[in-house]
Amino acid sequence: MHRFSSSAFLLVLVVSPGLGIAQQRPAPADTSTQHLRLREVVVTATRTEKALTEVPIPVTVVSRQQIQAMGAVRLTEVLGEQTGLNVVADHGRGVQMQGLNPEYTLILVDGEPLIGRTAGTLELSRVAVGNIERVEVVKGPASALWGSEALAGVVNIITQKPQHGTRGEVRLRYGANRTADVGGTFNYRHNQLGLTVFGNRYSSAGYTLQPASGQATVPPFTNYTGQSRLSYQLDDKTTFSVSGRYFIEDQASNLPITTEGGQVAQVRLKARQQESSLNPSVTRCFSDKLFGTLRFYHAGYRTKEDYTYTADGTPYDASYFHQTFTRPEAQLDWRLHPKHTLTVGTGYLWETVEATRYDQRQQMRSAYCYLQDDWSPLPGLNLVAGVRYDGHSQYQGQLSPKLSGRYQLRPWLAVRASAGRGFRAPDFRQLYLNFSNPAVGYSVFGTHQVREKVAQLAAQGQLALDPATGQPLINAPLLEQASSLTAESSRAYNAGLQLDPTPKLRLTANLFHNDLRDLIETAAVAQKTNGQSVYSYRNVSRAYTQGLETDARYLLSAHLTLSAGYQYLVAKDRNVVTQLKNGSIYRRDPETLETTRLKVADYGGLFNRSRHMANVKLFYDNQATGWSGSVRGVYRGRYGFQDRNGNLILDTGNEYVAGYWLWNVSAAKTFRQRYTLQAGLDNVLNYTDPAYLSTVPGRLYYASLTVALGPR
Amino acid sequence: MNQLFSRFALLTLSGAVLTLSACSNDDNDDNEVKPAEALKTEMASNLGPTPASTTTPPTGQPATPRHYAFYNLATKSEVPYTDSATTKWDIAVRTTTILVNGGSSGPGQGGAIVQDGLFSEITAAPATGYNVDSRTAYAIPTGSGKGWYNYNSTTHVVSPIAGKVILLRTATGKYAKLEIVSYYKDAPASPTGTEPRGYYTFRYVYQPDGSTNLK
Repeated sequence: MHRFSSSAFLLVLVVSPGLGIAQQRPAPADTSTQHLRLREVVVTATRTEKALTEVPIPVTVVSRQQIQAMGAVRLTEVLGEQTGLNVVADHGRGVQMQGLNPEYTLILVDGEPLIGRTAGTLELSRVAVGNIERVEVVKGPASALWGSEALAGVVNIITQKPQHGTRGEVRLRYGANRTADVGGTFNYRHNQLGLTVFGNRYSSAGYTLQPASGQATVPPFTNYTGQSRLSYQLDDKTTFSVSGRYFIEDQASNLPITTEGGQVAQVRLKARQQESSLNPSVTRCFSDKLFGTLRFYHAGYRTKEDYTYTADGTPYDASYFHQTFTRPEAQLDWRLHPKHTLTVGTGYLWETVEATRYDQRQQMRSAYCYLQDDWSPLPGLNLVAGVRYDGHSQYQGQLSPKLSGRYQLRPWLAVRASAGRGFRAPDFRQLYLNFSNPAVGYSVFGTHQVREKVAQLAAQGQLALDPATGQPLINAPLLEQASSLTAESSRAYNAGLQLDPTPKLRLTANLFHNDLRDLIETAAVAQKTNGQSVYSYRNVSRAYTQGLETDARYLLSAHLTLSAGYQYLVAKDRNVVTQLKNGSIYRRDPETLETTRLKVADYGGLFNRSRHMANVKLFYDNQATGWSGSVRGVYRGRYGFQDRNGNLILDTGNEYVAGYWLWNVSAAKTFRQRYTLQAGLDNVLNYTDPAYLSTVPGRLYYASLTVALGPR
Repeated sequence: MNQLFSRFALLTLSGAVLTLSACSNDDNDDNEVKPAEALKTEMASNLGPTPASTTTPPTGQPATPRHYAFYNLATKSEVPYTDSATTKWDIAVRTTTILVNGGSSGPGQGGAIVQDGLFSEITAAPATGYNVDSRTAYAIPTGSGKGWYNYNSTTHVVSPIAGKVILLRTATGKYAKLEIVSYYKDAPASPTGTEPRGYYTFRYVYQPDGSTNLK
């Protein structure tokens, strides 16, 4: 284990809040030199501390210094500039990884999951970055360690731990759209006691890309985040710590609705989101060979939405969503030999949900255990084998194995490869939803109760009858499939290179393939008398994503680092490919109205995936003068938006959104090692695409002041 | 790039207008039925009943019309709704529902089969297996993805599914094949969902001699 080197690294970062202090380090080392030389440690890849350069799977680390240099305030901004990650909006902004939707990436804060995925996507702008030490991004399935949702990968947000001394930082930032970010951190550690406190207020007037719609793209909002960690060293081997997090956001907006009479009425929506968590834990070094962790995590997420008529304040609609997540977990790390570590863990998970569209408070329980063997049988060769079993109260148990290896062929060349299984459990919606659309008349039931609900509808005479038999129109095979819903899963393979041809240059490349099966889709299980259907869910689709991700980083000078990244991606629905091979998908030319049969080559793949994504970044950091700055460009190649010719697949030019570059610049100057002024422009070229790109508001300026408190 | 895009849109639009005027010319041809050896592909444009005056949420489109629009494939012409109880019509449309003259819909021998394939490749009609309208299900099923169209719940656009050919037995027991190509007035190249809807443009081949040959 590399506990010492890790805390030394953390210390360096914490004492240099305003982008560093020259006097404390003899050589004017800049951030990127550090990246290439320090043994940067990550914890997400193996659930033990391991040097970033030695992990056998692809991991990206975004450091605190990079986050500060970018001028970022929310996690979405940070992740959106990383190679191979794509921030996409679908009931919230989440990250698309290796071409997989946001619901397939597990989001952790200090190793514990964030909850509140109302429709699959976890809104990443909920996470403030002011107290983040680093963000670790693991690509490829990690269900062998982390269980459900870690199918595409894992994003683990590592917050600051208490460091020796007393210090703090206050930061004010103001920018376009009346966006204000005010916050601070406090750190204390003396003898056995350590404490960190983080507070943040973030507000914005939002923005409107399509004024004609009468609706703001992002309505005004205000949120508060509080986060704290207390640690106490009980004896020289045992440490107790407890951390907590609270988040609240209020948002209000007006939207026009069309009533049944055809008139347009204004409705006001007031929405509140709350999220809280508590996480006590005990760690103990039983000996220099045995290390144990006991942790307990409880999290709650609540939303409330009230719609009222603007004219007279009478209610129009209201909804709520309450979720809890409770989990005790124990882990033992046993170092059999300096080059052989065994990790074993077990836990129990209890989740509840209560919401407007659910019958009653629903519960799910799951128990799991995992085992990992991290072994270096030869110099330069590291093998990690892991397996996890998740038993679940609502669906079939899941066994997730993974094998990965890394070999240092030459001092400047290493190869790594991994194969593993990932899974994503059916969510609450898919299991328990009970929703009937009052306007259109269709119904959607979660698979847990669809049989019972269909029987009820049949008894009430709400199902259409088969004219031939007089029996209700129920699709029995589909109903059977719905009742036996299981987790979505993938088999994934990653293989890549790490190259260090000169001390100034580092290149990495990774080929990936994700083979997805049992993807969950809606299915019409019965017909109602009103001509509408009763829907539930079933495992049906098969898809794959594959591609290449490359990164290069080059030190142009002692102060200047250039980096570039690129991802090539192909993502396709296997059922569609099969149909195309069979010649059973067609399209109609919109001008001649002639219908033709589609070829496999006409298929553009899954919607909302760019074949090409790239970024170029230049970071300048001169600690002697106190100046630093950055220029960052992020490219998203054209991607499919929606079907327009009725064949449901991506096949014609007008179904794509044009590719675009976003350029961001920032500059900062630190005075007297205490005051840092920063100013920046995001989206310098003012690129917008109102119809298709709700997340890009146009050019944004900001300026901030950071004051470091405590001894300098 | 935006400029390029709009230029492209303009081109497609003007293209659509040209095609349309060609279609209407076809329609204005003499309405006599020619007992020809080589069957002619006919094009019917904008078949749809007069819309109601009120609008429906959330699309702002006119509400469902009171009557269907009736059509006779042999005479290539619309039939007044007052003739709905006769065998003068073969198909009738209202919003996304299509009736054939038989079963619960009319006194004729009408039936239909929705088949996958290319219009040009289907050269013969099956002699049997035709579905007939009943009180609970139509011969040409309604619903997105079930029959002849897909509905996009985000844009509210109804798109006729390419590769769906409707094989018809007409009111008088003749055979025909039919392909719906647009659901919007004047068959816009890329409908946005706001155009007047419920106006069927379709091509068809009608076999007047009573045989199943549709070549």
